[in-house]
Amino acid sequence: MQLPSSFLTLAVAVPMAFAALMLAFSRWRGVRNIRLQQTLLVTAVTLNLGVALTVLTYTLQGNRIVYQLGLWPAPFGITVVADALTGIMLTSTATLVAVIAPYAFATMDYHRERFGFYPLILFLVMGVNMAFIAGDLFNLYVSFEVMLMSSFVLLTLGGTPNQINGGIRYVLLNLLASLTLLTAAGMAYGTLGTLNFAHLAQRMDEAPLAIRTLLAGLMFIAFGGKAAIFPLFFWLPSSYHTPPPAVTALFGGILTKVGVYTLYRTFPLLFPDLLIQWQTLIFIIAGLTMTIGVLGAFAQPTIRRLLSFHIISQVGYMIMALGVAVTDTRLGLSFGLAAGIIFVVHNMFVKTALMMAGGAVELEMGSGNLSQIGGLVGRQPVLATLFFVAAFSLAGLPPSSGFGGKLSLLQITLGTQNYWIAR
Amino acid sequence: MELSIDLTALMLALVVGCLMGTGTYLILRRGQIRLILGLGLFSHAINLLLFGTGPLTRGQPPVIADKANYLDSVAQMADPLPQALILTAIVISFGMTAFIVVLVSRRDALTGSDVLPGEMAPFLNTLDPFDPSESVAQQLLASADEDYDILQYELDEVYDQAEVALPFHENGNNHEEEME
Repeated sequence: MQLPSSFLTLAVAVPMAFAALMLAFSRWRGVRNIRLQQTLLVTAVTLNLGVALTVLTYTLQGNRIVYQLGLWPAPFGITVVADALTGIMLTSTATLVAVIAPYAFATMDYHRERFGFYPLILFLVMGVNMAFIAGDLFNLYVSFEVMLMSSFVLLTLGGTPNQINGGIRYVLLNLLASLTLLTAAGMAYGTLGTLNFAHLAQRMDEAPLAIRTLLAGLMFIAFGGKAAIFPLFFWLPSSYHTPPPAVTALFGGILTKVGVYTLYRTFPLLFPDLLIQWQTLIFIIAGLTMTIGVLGAFAQPTIRRLLSFHIISQVGYMIMALGVAVTDTRLGLSFGLAAGIIFVVHNMFVKTALMMAGGAVELEMGSGNLSQIGGLVGRQPVLATLFFVAAFSLAGLPPSSGFGGKLSLLQITLGTQNYWIAR
Repeated sequence: MELSIDLTALMLALVVGCLMGTGTYLILRRGQIRLILGLGLFSHAINLLLFGTGPLTRGQPPVIADKANYLDSVAQMADPLPQALILTAIVISFGMTAFIVVLVSRRDALTGSDVLPGEMAPFLNTLDPFDPSESVAQQLLASADEDYDILQYELDEVYDQAEVALPFHENGNNHEEEME
């Protein structure tokens, strides 16, 4: 079956159209408008999941979808691309959003719903999907901004002091990361004369080492800042626990992984030789990210603070996969990244599950403070069990998805003789 | 002609460097107004940097007047792509700046200080702005009148001193008492 390549634009068009519909009718029918918005959101996330699944099944057969917007030819027009990795990420995100939507219906307060919580979710999905399918550097920047802008508003919606305080740190560091990405785009255009990823990869071979190092460094800082790697993670633990649980679940599952995805997407494509050269550096960063993430998580007093800090250590594993993405033999290109991708998908689902369970615990017990929520098993045995199962998977115990993810990561790391990071 | 183009490029590079340095310095300072100004300067620097990625021409707009011999004019005219990129970047940074200004002024209204409080978080005004009761709205409005005077905080340079918490302690405690 031949899928028309313009189908890919639906991944952006569907969330955008439904968000616009919601905003257009946001004053219709007064109080009962929330019901309308919820119906529209369910329709939108279902359609979005359908689009993502179609892209996934089509790309898993070995096809690639490439579409030129407005039919302008490649280096000049805007290109959207999808391969199997895109399909996997689109589907994971769509599934998570489809799960979080009913959770949000149950936990979100009326005032936030009235202030456009549901359209914002769709705008966030639109930005994330756009980042997944972007085929050039500048559109990646634009989609990051769409994603960031809606996440800023979602994070601070409600305007409680903690949200505002965390929000300013979040906004500042993410804005700086975006500006770094914009600098990288400008540098790429100024030195190589193109922004299209495929075209950049072609011309990168002829570029001098200084330019490649400059571009790689700028992009590593920009994407690493979004992914919360070691020196650039401070915005995450100070902001993720402040909004309502549904928002934390959405952010914890999706946002940092978009940064990791772009690292996976750009680095092996544009800088395969630098990945070998920088392997030690990447491993050091990954190791520090893991260690500091775990140590920080130990010190946290509440469930969601702990889980937010723990995201950082998980990002460390994903960066470690980047370190083994390319080896001298070129064999590692598929295996290292494959292990990383398994881990990313596992982490998206498990982290969202834990965040949702943690939020439910907070709502049930009236506090997320770890010293005050004893006795949960007696009051809510099902919830406690669910949390336990998800935490087991996060720890990587055998029957769970975390085991497969960590095992494959460790296998590939040991296989490439990098014993000290695998520990 | 060659010399003048080099001078233009040099000027541009110097301006970008100065703006970026000033922006970074302002971002690293305490105080949220400097943060906003710093971010503004930083994004201007990057816009100019994008501008410099095309050839620096003068009086050659990217408009094709003579369609028959367009190749000649294309070779000389300014590159339209950086201009398009800058336009997009300006729009985005404008929106972001507006958002962060609102965020900072909101925090100013809530805490009576434009300094990142950190460990002072317990003293913050914990009113729920979405609380529909009138008294909360009145309290917030009343505190906003005093607290929105951003210029005064700039002049006082309160955030350069250790006693920064003092006005804000009183403020926060007042609110807590009023709430009770």
